Amino acid sequence: MPTRDLVLAALFAAIIIVLGLVPPVMLGFIPVPITAQSLGVMLAGVVLGAKRGTIAVLLVLVLAAIGLPVLSGGRGGLAVFMAPTTGYLIGWVFAAMVTGYLSQIMVGRDQAGLVQGVNFFIAALMGGVIVLYGIGITYLALITGMGFVKAFLGSLAFIPGDVLKAVIAALAGRAVMAGYPLLPQRA
Amino acid sequence: MKTLYVDGSGFLHRLSARAKLVLLAAASLALFLIQSPLVLGVGAVASGLLFGSLRIGWRQTWLRLRVLFLTIAAVALFTLVFNSPVEAVSVFFRLSALALLASAVTATTTTGDFITEVTFAALPLEKLGLVKAADIGLSIGLVLRFIPEILLRHQAIRDAHIARGLRPRTLSIIVPLIILTLKNADEIASAIDARAIRAQK
Repeated sequence: MPTRDLVLAALFAAIIIVLGLVPPVMLGFIPVPITAQSLGVMLAGVVLGAKRGTIAVLLVLVLAAIGLPVLSGGRGGLAVFMAPTTGYLIGWVFAAMVTGYLSQIMVGRDQAGLVQGVNFFIAALMGGVIVLYGIGITYLALITGMGFVKAFLGSLAFIPGDVLKAVIAALAGRAVMAGYPLLPQRA
Repeated sequence: MKTLYVDGSGFLHRLSARAKLVLLAAASLALFLIQSPLVLGVGAVASGLLFGSLRIGWRQTWLRLRVLFLTIAAVALFTLVFNSPVEAVSVFFRLSALALLASAVTATTTTGDFITEVTFAALPLEKLGLVKAADIGLSIGLVLRFIPEILLRHQAIRDAHIARGLRPRTLSIIVPLIILTLKNADEIASAIDARAIRAQK
């Protein structure tokens, strides 16, 4: 892997961690504060593409596993990988991968701004919501033995927030692509 | 960034990182095979005693475990409402034991030891040509090096919003943050290659 890609992934991992450290901010149009860490996961895919985005998320998880409190709310250590919600952390890897892959194949430089934005949104929604919750809910259901339907009901409350984050990720992805185009050099 | 490692010289501190990870994996497997709430309860109490023997202090213990136990309590409550009390008790004891054991390993293993283990685990992947094991340590170092810098940058962008009378919003903070940070990538990559830190090509 070229050194530049390694550095990009490491820098984005640091951005994801910082998004978990800073106090939650208002989205602007809804009066609920959100933690931005899972937004960072979608953005890793949208901005860096599948390969580098996945490496960025893996780095965050390795740092958490070796005992650094890098997850939102100062969580970290091996215990977060032994919890009923561990499936969502595993899901992050595939969320970034799917979001990145779909962004790479769906979004082109020559598309109109609106089309780019909508395509980024679809990519972030597929990866950051459908794949993420698919893995998270499956894990929760299997580990606790509560069954899929109940695991789904228990997770339902968080889905609207993550759909909103997909909107933000799409808008930010388009703005970054216009302001500092990384897409043509995607690995 | 402060790690969750706690200094000490007890039995767990002296045990090698690899042994602790293997034991943790074995214990988690056993906890999922055991169904009896009584045995699980004994396991949870034993794990609690093991964690307590590290003498981390009540405040630190609370800070480390509160979010985990909130999740565990929520899952146990859910199981109680929808399944049976026996299952709820089993789930509570099983997940508590796991959380305590894993936290004990984290508190007694240094970051350096962990990186050695991660690098060792990556050696088979290196043979397949998927990653360079040495890159893992380098990447971890890079991330830790840049977290404080990006935090400062985040603060600066927030302040710039407030100075202009704008409300700091996620979208208007995150775009300049990403662009400013990724613009550094080329310089950092050149610096790494100039020093031949990855020693390749």
